[in-house]
Amino acid sequence: MASSFEKYQKRRLITSYFSVVISIALVLFLVGLLALLVLNTKKVADHFKEQIALTIYLKDTAKEVEIDQLQKSLALSEYTKSIEFVSKEQAAKAYSQEIGEDFMEFLGYNPLQNSIDVYFNADYVSETKIAEISRDLGEKEFVDEIIYDKPLIALLNDNIKRLSFWILAVSGLLTFIAVLLINSSIRLSVYAKRFTIKTMQMVGATKRFIRRPFILKSVKLGIIGSSISLVGMAVVLYYLDKSFPELKLISDEVLLAAIFAGVLILGILISWLSTFFATQRFLNLKTDELYY
Amino acid sequence: MPETILELSDASIFQRETLILSNVNIEIQKGEFVYLIGKTGTGKSSFMKTLYGDLPLQSGYGQIVGIELQNLKEKQIPFLRRKLGVVFQDFKLLNDRNVKENLIFVLKATGWKDKSRMDKKIDEVLDKVGMKTKSFKFPYQLSGGEQQRVAIARALLNDPELILADEPTGNLDPQTSVEVMQVLQEINANGNTILMATHDYALLLKYPSKTLKCDGQRLFEVVQKQQH
Repeated sequence: MASSFEKYQKRRLITSYFSVVISIALVLFLVGLLALLVLNTKKVADHFKEQIALTIYLKDTAKEVEIDQLQKSLALSEYTKSIEFVSKEQAAKAYSQEIGEDFMEFLGYNPLQNSIDVYFNADYVSETKIAEISRDLGEKEFVDEIIYDKPLIALLNDNIKRLSFWILAVSGLLTFIAVLLINSSIRLSVYAKRFTIKTMQMVGATKRFIRRPFILKSVKLGIIGSSISLVGMAVVLYYLDKSFPELKLISDEVLLAAIFAGVLILGILISWLSTFFATQRFLNLKTDELYY
Repeated sequence: MPETILELSDASIFQRETLILSNVNIEIQKGEFVYLIGKTGTGKSSFMKTLYGDLPLQSGYGQIVGIELQNLKEKQIPFLRRKLGVVFQDFKLLNDRNVKENLIFVLKATGWKDKSRMDKKIDEVLDKVGMKTKSFKFPYQLSGGEQQRVAIARALLNDPELILADEPTGNLDPQTSVEVMQVLQEINANGNTILMATHDYALLLKYPSKTLKCDGQRLFEVVQKQQH
């Protein structure tokens, strides 16, 4: 008879811990996914930035050695992602195909120039940096003209800035909500034991001695909760990567490890701190104030 | 020469801003058994609470088991309570663990490390209150009288210089009250000092002893008529 009662008591306790674990797990799962999103925004943004090309048109008088040298120095410089030499014949062919007729037939000659397309590393795609690069290149005698889409760069940078601001704002808000939610469910579980805490103080236990088992318990729950959220994140990542392999979600192992470790640490830290403050609150109350 | 365990002079007891008792002058010597009587609401509990540091002593001088009450620091309170044994009307056992674990908690909380010494001490105090066979029971499996015996055993763990009992028989039937009282008397006979708040006059008549009374914001000693 007694043992069935004890079992019932224990089951009740387990359910109350269960809700703490579940709230920690769900909230951290969301925060983790958002962190993945934030870090992948940069990847996607960089992908777009690296599509932007700057075209250097070369004078017909340019010597082959000079062109070669320019190509080599471009390839070596740190702002270059890739370069592509387009000869005037290739350009004419591509253009004819585009307009659907051979314009050289009625013109009688090829008006196009040799050119080099330069693609930049994402970090160098900004208005000032590209302007600087094009000024430097324009000083060379054999370069005729340098063309790039100035307004597009400005627009792209503006939009990326706006987008990452909002994603950061939303994830900041969500982290705040996460802390609040976990805090309140832990506080509730400590509140349930407020009279036990008071009794412990009555028999001469120090605050630190009373606090320790509460904190150990909560940290344990925090670890369980964040482990569950990590499993959830791993499953989501696996299926996302299967459906959209081009996003290369799991290519950067260090980054992924950092996110997973971050979520785990966040779970432990939040549960540790909220238990600390919740128990401290009841430890500092006088007995009579517990009833208010 | 008798040793003064508890001494208050010109002390005022406040419950927050409300004055409960003023101009309190009492002394309790080692080995005494002292009753504290008075109607409910006259300040017995507030007085007790002041003694074990749950209420601050806001004016006057107070000394208990060698610790000064008027400038008691928050940090000192646990160490004051280790020198006292407190027994409450509502027992205040930890309901999430059995009798033995209740006692182990107190020992660990007050710095005991050696397991065999802890076991020995627990056997000793449970034996004193006649609960040696029930150490595996949970508090809710015990009757009120048994719970109070455990609470008294808990108060004895650190060989306190003074036992404060705040209406220890308040929740018990007359028969059980007498049993608990006998336990307290035995402990007193062993040399422990006891201050017991009560409104159970039957017990006073049965076990006469020095008596303090709370009435009209005053605390004074009552001279009892000899009954025999």
